[in-house]
Amino acid sequence: MIVSRLELIDFRNYSEASFDLTEGTTVVLGDNGQGKTNLAEALAYLATLTSFRGAPGDALVRVGTDQGIIRATVRHDDGRESLIEAELRAVGRNRVQVNRQKLQRVRDLLGTVRVTVFSPDDLIIVKGGPGERRRFMDDTLVTLATKYDAIRLEMDRIVKQRNTLLKQAQKAGHRELPTDIEVTLDVWDAKFSEIADQFGYARATLVSRIAPMVQEAYEHLAGVASPIELRYEPEWRRTGLKAALTAARGDDVRRGVSTVGPHRDELDVTINGLPGRTHASQGEQRTLALALRLAGHRLATERIGSAPVLVLDDVLSELDDGRARALLGHLPDGQVVITTASELPPAARADRIIRIAAGTIVPGD
Amino acid sequence: MASTYTPPVQLLIDELGRLPGVGPKSAQRIAFHLLKIPADDVNRLAEAIIDAKKRVRFCERCFNVADSTLCPICNDDARDSSLVCVVEESRDIVALEKTGEFRGRYHVLLGAMSPLEGIGPEDLKIRELVARIEPEGIEEVILCTNPNTEGEVTAMYLARLLKPIGLKVTRIASGLPVGGDLEYADELTLGRALEGRRSVED
Repeated sequence: MIVSRLELIDFRNYSEASFDLTEGTTVVLGDNGQGKTNLAEALAYLATLTSFRGAPGDALVRVGTDQGIIRATVRHDDGRESLIEAELRAVGRNRVQVNRQKLQRVRDLLGTVRVTVFSPDDLIIVKGGPGERRRFMDDTLVTLATKYDAIRLEMDRIVKQRNTLLKQAQKAGHRELPTDIEVTLDVWDAKFSEIADQFGYARATLVSRIAPMVQEAYEHLAGVASPIELRYEPEWRRTGLKAALTAARGDDVRRGVSTVGPHRDELDVTINGLPGRTHASQGEQRTLALALRLAGHRLATERIGSAPVLVLDDVLSELDDGRARALLGHLPDGQVVITTASELPPAARADRIIRIAAGTIVPGD
Repeated sequence: MASTYTPPVQLLIDELGRLPGVGPKSAQRIAFHLLKIPADDVNRLAEAIIDAKKRVRFCERCFNVADSTLCPICNDDARDSSLVCVVEESRDIVALEKTGEFRGRYHVLLGAMSPLEGIGPEDLKIRELVARIEPEGIEEVILCTNPNTEGEVTAMYLARLLKPIGLKVTRIASGLPVGGDLEYADELTLGRALEGRRSVED
């Protein structure tokens, strides 16, 4: 699947622009603040319906207007084309059309366009707290199968409901819980376990599949064979969440929050036997983050049988020459969009170069 | 936020905005519509609301809406009283009745368990359901709460409560809409439908 054309109307700093992307590598050149990341954001939006920068919906609409449009022509592997249009509203609900047919639910678009983005902010996957690594696992799961998006939402909801219940129990404040609260908690625990066991299994499977790919990608980028280990072994998975919740109930009630479960898990990433988060250099962390993303991209390509669009947003400035050359010299198969402020290093083979300035395409290439 | 309307208009908008499914914009639209139409029409609407509120009450047995002590379904002797279908709201009864498939009676919980909304089992008509079992000779309870998180949890709670009493407890199946296409079903529904598959009779 490739995105052959992307049109932006009143999206971020673009009032109107259209980009013809090649099925190989398109390089988008422009100084800082001209709209490179906005372009990457628009592509990624079609895949996830959120901003990878974590921006709220109204921030995506050009200042001074109340509606923006992302229009993409997508060519599938069998040659079929579809026209995807997302109408983003500063206030109110967004709308999505596929081939001019309005989708009943915006979320039905998920899975139609698949995009992997790597941006400088991804350093946080390695450097940030456990939540960032959970998000990495879960976002990757969603690219593999969209059902994980619904499962994740339901799990968040259950945790919220359960925490509210725990706060009520905490207020009741007896040494012995009132029976009705006890029984109600039992039921929420049963529901929570049912879905969490399934989700924990999905995460564990993902991590075991992805680990050798991360190792390979890292070696390739860094040019040295540093052993990388990914460990996702939450304590509760040994017994199933049900037993773990029963064991933790006293604690949960005392603190008024759910202290165990997938929402508290950690994915340990070690390099040379030491935690990447605290012991790796900035350069190693960046390379590791890129290796994680590339591994996710590769797994999605293998599992689905076609490559997602790979967007490398402003990553060249962050990598040293050797690593940049290693990355660009061996890009995975499929469509690639690279944005950069500096001229391309000689290793990069661009099939098309688009120059942008202040939200418009500079003609002439 | 300071009100831009005179107090009576703002009050009307606020009250309308508290209705389910009515957002601020719709509330404003309805309010201005009401101000524009003849006073008679407004009076008719107001009377209809007040009259319905005064005359309609909940069935003493099943908590369906009723205009006397018992609702028409509880009053119907042809109904199988050993079979009870538990639903969240009265409007679910309307949906189930349209099928014409169900000849038992109903029990309306008036909601589903949701700690976030402050609704626990004691806020639902569960005790009243248990109290019906003996006198009515109920043998099977079909749990027809919504197939969402809160509905599922409520069904689980009821199953745990009712099974030990020795009742047959069943849960309504969830899966594909009839007349629909597989390719348009969302993944969760389809997954559920696969789980709940059954063997084909020869």
